[in-house]
Amino acid sequence: LRRCLISVDRSLIEKSIPEVKRVLQTKDTFRNVTILSTLENLKSIKPVDVCCVTSHLLTFYRDRVFKDHQETSLEVMRQISSIANSFLYMQKTLEQCQVHNQCQCSQEATNATRTILDNYDQLEASSAALKSLGELDIFLTWIDENHQETSTA
Amino acid sequence: AVPCVSGGLPKPTNITFLSINMKNVLHWNPPEGLRGVEVTYTVQYFIYGQKQWLGASECRSISRTYCDLSAETSDYEHQYYAKVKAIWETKCSEWAETRRFYPFLETQVGPPKVALTAGEKSISIVLTAPKKWQRHPNDDTVSMQQIYSSLKYNVFLYNTKSRRMWSQCIANSTLELSWLEPNTLYCVHVESFVPGPPRLTLPSQKQCISTLEDQMSALKV
Repeated sequence: LRRCLISVDRSLIEKSIPEVKRVLQTKDTFRNVTILSTLENLKSIKPVDVCCVTSHLLTFYRDRVFKDHQETSLEVMRQISSIANSFLYMQKTLEQCQVHNQCQCSQEATNATRTILDNYDQLEASSAALKSLGELDIFLTWIDENHQETSTA
Repeated sequence: AVPCVSGGLPKPTNITFLSINMKNVLHWNPPEGLRGVEVTYTVQYFIYGQKQWLGASECRSISRTYCDLSAETSDYEHQYYAKVKAIWETKCSEWAETRRFYPFLETQVGPPKVALTAGEKSISIVLTAPKKWQRHPNDDTVSMQQIYSSLKYNVFLYNTKSRRMWSQCIANSTLELSWLEPNTLYCVHVESFVPGPPRLTLPSQKQCISTLEDQMSALKV
């Protein structure tokens, strides 16, 4: 069964994310709470579950994070919308995989996503959204690392 | 430690991590306006997602303005904060803090080792990836290539006769340049490069080597 792999828009990683991260991480004062960064959680995802978790997290960002975030800076808003657009593009790619039955969801994958959503719900929506946007570097790094031909089982 | 009055001193400034091959050293400038005063510093760090600030055991009441936190921040997939305060007699500053530090995305990847071999019209270049910081010299060596599978190299070649520079980005560790001028001094330097967020690069030392004399012209003489 060929693996479902997506690629991340380079300008996203090289420009948009660093700018959004620099601004939003400074505003995130809840340092003892993370949304994605329970690394044991993300690092434990098996290659076969990568597609499902990626799809769930792209949906999480689209339906929760981008909606809950209140932004005052036009420049940051512009960067976030370009991130949102590229997430939509990645999701379209994953939908092709789902059509070809390459995006199975194991219990472990579902649990991992559940943990992330529970982390999100621990905080008030705008704080949780701010923190999730500040953790985009973790999410994009995880996608970059796990959507490569060579990422081993 | 002797309790001090917080805010009695200005904060240290420009606090930042300088990270090369996962050797993560915290640097700062002394507080302004305290020239000639014997200030000491205390450092703490925080693992993002954990519960509390932790003391840096090697950096309590120190007079230098840097603190090696490589051991404390050695899990490069976690993210960290660090803070430092200045102390003088019974007064101390408030904490000066870094922004969130993510070693995996922010460490500078040092230059590779460069080995050159010259032929008549060719130079062969063999590169060895830099090593990750080690806690102890006899710890197992980890290459930065193992951490960054997408590690690439920018190779710069300078012809000292024509004064022309040429460069190429390569993904593997060997490069054969085979259309060069004989009996010519070339200089090479190499930078490591990881696709992703922008990082500072550190070029290798410039190394020069001369291509051999053209055998044909040597025979004609």
